[in-house]
Amino acid sequence: MNNEISQKNKIDEYINHLFAGVGASQQLFELKEELAVNLREKIQDIKARGLNDEEAFREAVASMGDLSGLVEDMRRLGQDTARQSVYTSMKARISTAGIVIGSMLILFGLFSALMLYFMAGFGVASLGNLIFLVAGGTLLTYSVLTRETMHKYAMNTIRAALYGLSVGLLLFSIFTGFVTRYATGEMFIAVASVMVFFIAGVGILLTLLLTGSDRSKQ
Amino acid sequence: MGGKISTDLIRGHTDTIILNILRQGDSYGYEIYKTVLTLSGQRYELKEATLYSAFRRLEQDELIVSYWGDETQGSRRKYYRITAKGKDHYEQNRKDWVFAREVLDKLIQGGLNSDE
Repeated sequence: MNNEISQKNKIDEYINHLFAGVGASQQLFELKEELAVNLREKIQDIKARGLNDEEAFREAVASMGDLSGLVEDMRRLGQDTARQSVYTSMKARISTAGIVIGSMLILFGLFSALMLYFMAGFGVASLGNLIFLVAGGTLLTYSVLTRETMHKYAMNTIRAALYGLSVGLLLFSIFTGFVTRYATGEMFIAVASVMVFFIAGVGILLTLLLTGSDRSKQ
Repeated sequence: MGGKISTDLIRGHTDTIILNILRQGDSYGYEIYKTVLTLSGQRYELKEATLYSAFRRLEQDELIVSYWGDETQGSRRKYYRITAKGKDHYEQNRKDWVFAREVLDKLIQGGLNSDE
C-alpha cells in the first residue's frame, strides 16, 4: 500500500515536471489526470512481466515518446484564454442553467409553502411543496460543483452528480420527516423515515469527502 | 528495423487507426495503445505522445468525443467515443486507402511489359 502511494506520487511528480511552467487550464488539468491513470496502468502491466517498481517506471516513461508537441499545445492553451473559454462554454452553460433553475425551484418551494401556510395553516399541504427545495438543492449542488471558478477546476460530472444525490437524500430525509410527522401525528414514524434516507445520504457524502482529489489551482 | 513497420509509412494514418478501434467500441488511452500493438501483431507501437496529440486533434474536429469513466476513486479513465461524423470520416479514409494501395502496388511492383 505504501509502495503504491509512493509510486503514485512519483508518477504525479514526473507529469508535473513534464508540464512545469505551462499556464493552468482545464484541459491541462484533465490531460495530466488522463496521462497519470494510463501510465499507472502501463506500469502495472510491465511489473507483471517481473520487473521491479523502478525498472517498470523507467521503461513506461521511456516508451511514451516525445511529448514536447503535447506540452507546446498546452502552453498555447494556457496563454490563450479565449480558446479556453470556447472549450468550457458548453459545460459552463449547463452549470449556469442548473444554478438558475435550482435557485428558482428553491424559491418556488419556499413561496408556495408560505402561501399554502397562510391559506390552510401548518400541515401536510403546506409542507408538501417543500419537495421543490429537495429538487432545487440537488440541482444547485451539482451545478455549483461542475463550474470552473477562479480558484478551482470543475469537478467531474459523476462525482458532482453523487454529491447532488447525497444532498438530495439529506434534504429529502428532512422533508419526509416533517411530512410523516404531520401526516401520522406520530414522532417515531417520522424518525424512522428520516433515518433511512439520512443514513444513505451521509454514507455517500462521507465516501465522496474521503476520496476526492485536489481541484484547486496553484 | 527488427520486424517493426517504418513510422514514416504509417504517420498519415494515425487518425484512421484510432477511428478504426473506436468504431468498434469506446476505449481509453492505454487500452487503445495495447489494441494497436495487438492488431499489428506487435509490429507497430503507437507512442503515447502521438496518441494523445491525435486525441486532441480528433476531438477538435468533432470526430470523437471524450467522457470520464465512472470510477469514483482517485483514478478515473478518460474514454473516447466515435461520432457520426467520425464514422463517415473513417469510411472515406478506408476507401481512399484501398484505392491508394492498389495504385501504389502497381507503381512500386508493376512491370512495364505486362500484357493485359
